Amino acid sequence: MRMHFRLPILFIGLAAIPYFSFAALAQTPSVSAADDWVPSIYAQLSRRLFPVFRPRSCFCDEDCFAALQEKQKLQSRQRFQSMPPWPPLYPNAEKDIREINLDGLKQIIQRDPKDTRPLLINFWATWCDPCREEFPDLVKVDTDYRSKGLNFIAVSLDDISDIKTAVPKFLKEMKAEMSVVLLNVNDPEPAIKAVDASWDGQLPATFLYDKEGKVVFRHFGRIEPAALRAAIEKAVGNKQ
Amino acid sequence: MKKHYALPLFLAAILVVAFAAIAGSGRTTIDLPAPPSIGTVIDDFKLPDADGAEHSLKSLAGKNGAVVIFIATKCPVSNAYNDRMEKLAQDYKAKGINVIGINSNSTEPSSEVKSHAAEKHLSFAILKDEGNKIADRLGATRTPEVYVLDASMKLVYHGRIDNSQKVETITSNDLRDALDEMLAGKPVTKTSGAAFGCTIKRVS
Repeated sequence: MRMHFRLPILFIGLAAIPYFSFAALAQTPSVSAADDWVPSIYAQLSRRLFPVFRPRSCFCDEDCFAALQEKQKLQSRQRFQSMPPWPPLYPNAEKDIREINLDGLKQIIQRDPKDTRPLLINFWATWCDPCREEFPDLVKVDTDYRSKGLNFIAVSLDDISDIKTAVPKFLKEMKAEMSVVLLNVNDPEPAIKAVDASWDGQLPATFLYDKEGKVVFRHFGRIEPAALRAAIEKAVGNKQ
Repeated sequence: MKKHYALPLFLAAILVVAFAAIAGSGRTTIDLPAPPSIGTVIDDFKLPDADGAEHSLKSLAGKNGAVVIFIATKCPVSNAYNDRMEKLAQDYKAKGINVIGINSNSTEPSSEVKSHAAEKHLSFAILKDEGNKIADRLGATRTPEVYVLDASMKLVYHGRIDNSQKVETITSNDLRDALDEMLAGKPVTKTSGAAFGCTIKRVS
């Protein structure tokens, strides 16, 4: 019975090690030369264990050494600033939402032939009430099935002027982590018909494509989570 | 030790899968009746306005035809078209074509339809479709969605008003083009048009 209490603690403990070590590294600019090629906890360790890296040419001269150390600090600061930022917990909260046009939408639907994950596409907008209402269910679907191989793309039909305001704000509130793009087209008709001939543009609209790219589920209006989940189970489980 | 919880876990997994299968079976997309095809004669129907007075489609139609528009009080897309719909009603009244609004949203009662029309200065007739019976019969799915009927109540155009919610970026005036062609006695070139809109909230 004791295992019941110990296992989660052990698991959390193990998971925390790489997180904190990487976080520490990301927050502390390192002076060590080691982190040039080992961006890990080992770089931190080597810096702690061997704090002074004294180049041979400077043994004679303390001023020279100080100058060199300053130079190294500056270099490492620059290197640190040019590093990509530590990924935020909810990517869409800060990430730029990609704007796509008709061709971009067609690319998403046709897919990269190498990508054989089932694809879920939800068309939505912040001005659409049922879209907002169903979004928490979609966020749960994304969390539950991403690790099982589901690729989820939410296509926003908000006005392009909302791409940095209303859209990311809503996604942050929803703690949404799926990929989000904003479709910016002047005439919506070719886009709607490129997705599905039986669709007239009513929102929300949800489509699930299986590994072969065939539509296996479509729903207009607010989704019923159980029906969508059943379809996804089938699509991700169908291994061949 | 392992066996003690392996069995319950296995059973729980089966239960979850079974539940998902039961919940998912038979409940896919709600099947709506397909909209009537272009050229179909639309049967007359009666609906009450926001004050409760019944009107038939024929009594409201103009001598050259009618434009039936499914509208909403809360949908931002429908609301973006308020001025355009009112202008359309004014422009074509003199040409013998009347605009008829229908509100089929179960979430928007008659009182709201009335106050919304007053607030947005919509002067054309707006009918309340309780239980979305007419939306079902016409296969309407979203707001705003337009049906153009000629003098003999034959459907000649079905779909969007134009290509853009923003007046500045309109490049295709599908509804007006269809009306003008119909008035000129020509066949309508583009008989349908898709645009993003709000789903009509039907009774469940």
